[in-house]
Amino acid sequence: MKKLSVLVLWALTATLAIPLAAVTPAAPVLAQDDTLTVLCTPQEDWCVAMTQAFQEETGIETSYVRMSSGESLARIRATQDDPEFSVWWGGPADAFIAAYEEGLIEPYEPELASVLPENAVGEDHSWHGIYMGAIGFCSNVELLEELGVEPPTSWEDLLNPALKSNIAMAHPATSGTAFTTFWTIVTLKADELEAEEEGAGYDEEGMPTEAAIDAAFEYFAQLHQNILQYTRSGAAPGQMAATGQIAVAIIFAHDCVKLQVEGFEGIVVNTFPEEGTGYEIGGMALIKNAPEPEAAKRWIEWALTPEAQAIGATVNSLQLPTNPDTPISELSPRLEDVNLVDYNFIAAGLHRTEIVERFDAEIAPQPTD
Amino acid sequence: MRTLTRNHRIAEFRRITQDPVLFVGLVIVVLFVIITVISPIYAMVEESLTEKGRELFERYLTSPVYQRIFRNTMEMGLLVAAIGTALGFVLAYVQVKVAVPFKRLIHFIALVPIVSPPFAVATAALLLFGRNGMITYDIFGVRYDIYGLDGLTLVLTLSYFPVAYLNLRGMIQALDPALDEAATNLGASKWRVFRTVTVPMLIPGIAGSFLLLFVEAIADLGNPLVLGGNYEVLATRIYVSIVGLYDTTAAAVLSVVLLVPSLLVFIVQRYWISRTSVVSITGKPSGTPQVINHPLVVWPLFAAVMAIVLLIVIIYGVIFAGAFTKILNVNNELTLDHFDFVINGYGSEAMKDTTQLSAIATPIAGVLGMLIAFLVARKKWTGRHALDFATMLGIAVPGTILGIGYLLVFNGPQQITLPVIGTVTVIPKLTGGRAVFGGAAAIVLVYIVRSVPAALRAGVAALSQIDPAIEEASVSLGADNFGTFRRITLPLIRPAFLSGLIYAFARSMTTISAIIFLTTPRTKIMTHQILNEVENGRYGNAFAYCVILIVIVLAAIGILAVAVGTTTGAEKTTIEGAA
Repeated sequence: MKKLSVLVLWALTATLAIPLAAVTPAAPVLAQDDTLTVLCTPQEDWCVAMTQAFQEETGIETSYVRMSSGESLARIRATQDDPEFSVWWGGPADAFIAAYEEGLIEPYEPELASVLPENAVGEDHSWHGIYMGAIGFCSNVELLEELGVEPPTSWEDLLNPALKSNIAMAHPATSGTAFTTFWTIVTLKADELEAEEEGAGYDEEGMPTEAAIDAAFEYFAQLHQNILQYTRSGAAPGQMAATGQIAVAIIFAHDCVKLQVEGFEGIVVNTFPEEGTGYEIGGMALIKNAPEPEAAKRWIEWALTPEAQAIGATVNSLQLPTNPDTPISELSPRLEDVNLVDYNFIAAGLHRTEIVERFDAEIAPQPTD
Repeated sequence: MRTLTRNHRIAEFRRITQDPVLFVGLVIVVLFVIITVISPIYAMVEESLTEKGRELFERYLTSPVYQRIFRNTMEMGLLVAAIGTALGFVLAYVQVKVAVPFKRLIHFIALVPIVSPPFAVATAALLLFGRNGMITYDIFGVRYDIYGLDGLTLVLTLSYFPVAYLNLRGMIQALDPALDEAATNLGASKWRVFRTVTVPMLIPGIAGSFLLLFVEAIADLGNPLVLGGNYEVLATRIYVSIVGLYDTTAAAVLSVVLLVPSLLVFIVQRYWISRTSVVSITGKPSGTPQVINHPLVVWPLFAAVMAIVLLIVIIYGVIFAGAFTKILNVNNELTLDHFDFVINGYGSEAMKDTTQLSAIATPIAGVLGMLIAFLVARKKWTGRHALDFATMLGIAVPGTILGIGYLLVFNGPQQITLPVIGTVTVIPKLTGGRAVFGGAAAIVLVYIVRSVPAALRAGVAALSQIDPAIEEASVSLGADNFGTFRRITLPLIRPAFLSGLIYAFARSMTTISAIIFLTTPRTKIMTHQILNEVENGRYGNAFAYCVILIVIVLAAIGILAVAVGTTTGAEKTTIEGAA
């Protein structure tokens, strides 16, 4: 009987030890990582193409999870004690600036950092830009025609009551696209206020004032009456426009072109607001305490090469590459052709959390009449 | 039996402790329920009562915006529960009691929604009835705005009514035809029989279905995410608090707000059911049920049933068609690309993971369900109501709440410090990508917790239709508790066990709200992937996932039905193996 109980005890210990052994991480100092987990923010097919190419190139088994920008930030914050991901690839830079501010990112300087435009390199090399793109309006031609509305060419056009329940954008808390949209309005309102009275729109450090942010909230409260739904991911409204669920989607212009290339040519049309639109610099960073730091650094080095940056165009992700040696697809919307606002990424990053919380509390849950 | 005194119940409890098999079973069940159901809910409530939580409570309860969201949630829940239960009842009644053609086909089609993820229906509904709908616009030329309450009611009802149908069908089948015959012989009309015999006998089933549908509807996350429009409900608010802000306190507070009506309905229903329950004491039905064949009853019912069937067929037709075409209704070129993506491509991982985890959870949930059913329905011990109640919480609480509770409790190892031995890890970290089995353990636990209640109810319902005297006879003849359970009770409730297993597998394969916060880079779940595909408008991939998921679940049902058997053994007129 005694023997039996000893045996049972051993068996129990053994079963308990198996899962424990499984969690003990392999010594990370010496090991050349043979796996890499990427937190991927752009559209899924690009994530697939990138991770496959990296795996073929390096032999490192690469997996990814796609999450929208705000979602990614929230997840990294929630798991900072024991991060699941090693590298965060894609999504507007202001989320990276917010993450660095919170100590969630480990600076790392890749060799190719020197070829990047100045604004595509984060403070202390905390993040690096991988692509750029501007916000536009992606409209369903047929629906607009029925509503008797021209494709919008200004932010004011979106407030037209004829577009009630016919506009969609993402939720700024989850989506970087939507946050870029929000900050674009903040910038425009700051410009307006500054034109009326010096110091009213921008403070001494050149950051938009609280008054400008309040004015932006007023704009979105009005726009809310026309919004059908706030989606989770930034590009999703484009699909809604393409499939005829809404007339106008506020999304990145390259995502609208992607739709046109992928079967919705002639169905959706892309326009820009004349008074100015915002743009993103898609970021990339090493996550602090990354479980696979070596592989992550290798990814960061690789992702800035022209070969890696050219992958986007193969899956119709037509963002503009940041490495000037990368050939640009002729389909990509060029930033030179668009009136861009003076988008302050640092100010946007610093105000991010406060704005998305306020948006979620004050705008998103409001009923519409 | 109801007048058992406290002393008797304690004595009964002692009797259980003296039966080693039963006692071990009881201990396992109680520990399991405490760890996997009670502790996450407790942690969530605790989080909501922190200082910050109390402030948020005040803000939400006084804000007209949140009052509106709360009303929306209730309105949607009640609508879906009422319509869904009614649909389920009509189908079940027609299926068992009315002479209509194509019964097997109707049955099969009515079950399809249960084996498919909810987004399938929502997405197909968008394509059919949306602004650019193949029916609303292409046929009727109407730009119908399906986003909001009407669309949600439609898709949620279609997604969940099969639960009511299955429940009620089982119960109607279990009704003893002798009762109908007796009533008819005493001069009652068919309508009177229906009203005074059939319906009262089914009240527990109807109430139970209503309860299930109500909590399913108010807890549903996938459908409001796809076509909620500006009709905000609590589940989507909770979702944004977690995925967008990772504000567990706000999520916990909103969850408690969602928890209160769920629990309230649950408690009221239980009390009400227990007062109005009518139990036949004849064991299993032995005769053939009387069938209604009056044409004025048959044909209107048949038309109603066919309308439902047709709607389901069209919706799933869209899903199948969409899975095989490039972009349905835009570019109808046939393609296998979407299946390639799911089977060979990126989606294969999620497909394998989800099937494996569900296959692990299913037998555990089925056995636990029957065991708990036996313990609470047949043994009159102190604490059986508490055990029943705690188990039911697994489904009574919305899935999002369970998910958040798991994040709060299992995001680190649970340790206790013992003298001499030191700190011992009792439960390792279960959630997140760095947890044991890549976070899969937490997902399996959630699958089990969400599935056991249905198995339990099916088990209790089946047991309450069987006279305990049958089991008492077995015990009198010298069999022990375990032997009686295995050889008498289990075969008699075999259909309930089977439906518990089927429900567990289908539920696990299709659940989203409870696991959406628990998926990790190493554990990918199909429903979560489908949501991604739907949200980004790659309906083809989403539909291919759905088709494959449906095929997997149907195959599993076939395997389970063969392995477990669908009959009780009591249907046969000859008694075999008298020993």
